[in-house]
Amino acid sequence: MSAVLQTAGLAAGYGGRPVINDIDVVLNPGEVLCMIGHNGAGKSTLLKSMFGLIAPDGGQVLVDGKDMTGCSPREMADTGIALVPEGRGVFPSLSVTDIFALGMHAARVPKPERPERVDWVLGILPVIREFMHRPASTLSGGQQQMVSIGRALLSRPRILLMDEPSIGLAPKLFQDLLAPIRALQQREGLSILLVEQNVREALKISDRAVVMKSGRMIWEGAPEELSDNDKLMGLY
Amino acid sequence: MLAIQLAITGLQTGALYALTAVGFSLIFGSTRIFHFAHGASFVIAAYFFYATFGAGWGVIPAILASAFGAVAFGLLLDRLVYVPIQRHEGSFFTVFVASFGVGIAVQNVIGMIFGRGYVTVNTSLSRSVEMFPDVYVSPLAWIAILCAAIFLGGLQFFLRRTHTGMALRALADNPELVRTFGLNPRAIQAAAFAIGSVIVVPAAIITSATTGLSPAIGHHVMLISLAATIVGGIGSISGTMLAGVLLGLAESLALLIVDSQWTEAVTFAILFAFIIIRPSGLLGRATAH
Repeated sequence: MSAVLQTAGLAAGYGGRPVINDIDVVLNPGEVLCMIGHNGAGKSTLLKSMFGLIAPDGGQVLVDGKDMTGCSPREMADTGIALVPEGRGVFPSLSVTDIFALGMHAARVPKPERPERVDWVLGILPVIREFMHRPASTLSGGQQQMVSIGRALLSRPRILLMDEPSIGLAPKLFQDLLAPIRALQQREGLSILLVEQNVREALKISDRAVVMKSGRMIWEGAPEELSDNDKLMGLY
Repeated sequence: MLAIQLAITGLQTGALYALTAVGFSLIFGSTRIFHFAHGASFVIAAYFFYATFGAGWGVIPAILASAFGAVAFGLLLDRLVYVPIQRHEGSFFTVFVASFGVGIAVQNVIGMIFGRGYVTVNTSLSRSVEMFPDVYVSPLAWIAILCAAIFLGGLQFFLRRTHTGMALRALADNPELVRTFGLNPRAIQAAAFAIGSVIVVPAAIITSATTGLSPAIGHHVMLISLAATIVGGIGSISGTMLAGVLLGLAESLALLIVDSQWTEAVTFAILFAFIIIRPSGLLGRATAH
């Protein structure tokens, strides 16, 4: 199986300070890969460097085997990748309708298709319909996270990168958020790289897992193996 | 009748202040660049109009030349000064000093070309006519108010209804998230400079035909813009518009109780009052952005 997204010896950091080193990660078509690790392990830095938000210091980022190292987020988005960023990926002063409109404009969704795309996303996350016209600043954390995921889905990506979507959410809310994403992934063969600290919930929907520590990958395997590994699970 | 006369004059001044300040507020609000050289954009627009209209170009070509001068200056300053500083992680203070320096340079170059004294564009529109007994208003006053209404209304529509307008508001909220969306923050920043610069054009042209111009007028323009931005609420375009009009009215109506040399002090008295009593301004957010 050839990887849809892959890194080879990827290194990145901020202002000359290395954060991740020599990372080889592979995302296969139609799988959910869960990446776990403590704060500061380099998970978000890895996602940002894969998506072009920070320039790698070394190594490669490959999409469908094609070298995309150093490409901009715009170029990465054009390959069918969408990123749900850490924190609340919404603009507080914009309404949900505006955020969706801007997201589709940025993703170059053809104008005639836009109402249909919004309906498609509202079919996956129907709760959004209740607050479509409200400014994002007035929404709860869970509602904002739904909007952020909904915006990412509007481009109908084939690869979805999600950076700690559970932050600030109650476990039940997180489950409610992940369930439709998992259903969509299974229905449409979406590939998902999920960075999470909420290990138990994230492993439930994952096909494979990797563990990061101090900027390096230290473990890779099936979610059940990780769940049975008391030593590793004790750490998270 | 004096109060009515001063109120109408104040509205005219306020309309021009609003147009000038909104350009600065839009640039500062969306890019966080303290564009001190916004006053220089005003000066360039005004002197382009003065030179081309005086050379017999006609009103419309002279207006277009004025707009070209202001927009080109804003875009070049962004591309050649601000972007390189930002690329090297330049601080807010570095940007401010660079902008201040460019403003001084523009003032000196304009002074060398056109002289340092006041110049005025002569037009029949600046002649006042008696509207009511003892109340004199020039057609330019109505043109100023109409221009402000059209430009500021148009700007609000643009910011709310167009993708570029939404992107400008998004940039003000979170530049990194703008990149995550796949948008180019530099292109949006350039749009902020183009729009912020073009909005000063009507104010610059009307000022050239009413109170007149000097190369140093940019400092006054910048101080008024800054005062209106703070009084209106940093980041609030509507607040800046309102504050511009209120400051113009206050300066004018203050003549009922103080001498003319104190009118400018009224603006700063209002500014200090807001800083102490209501730092978030008229329509600004209560928390720091």
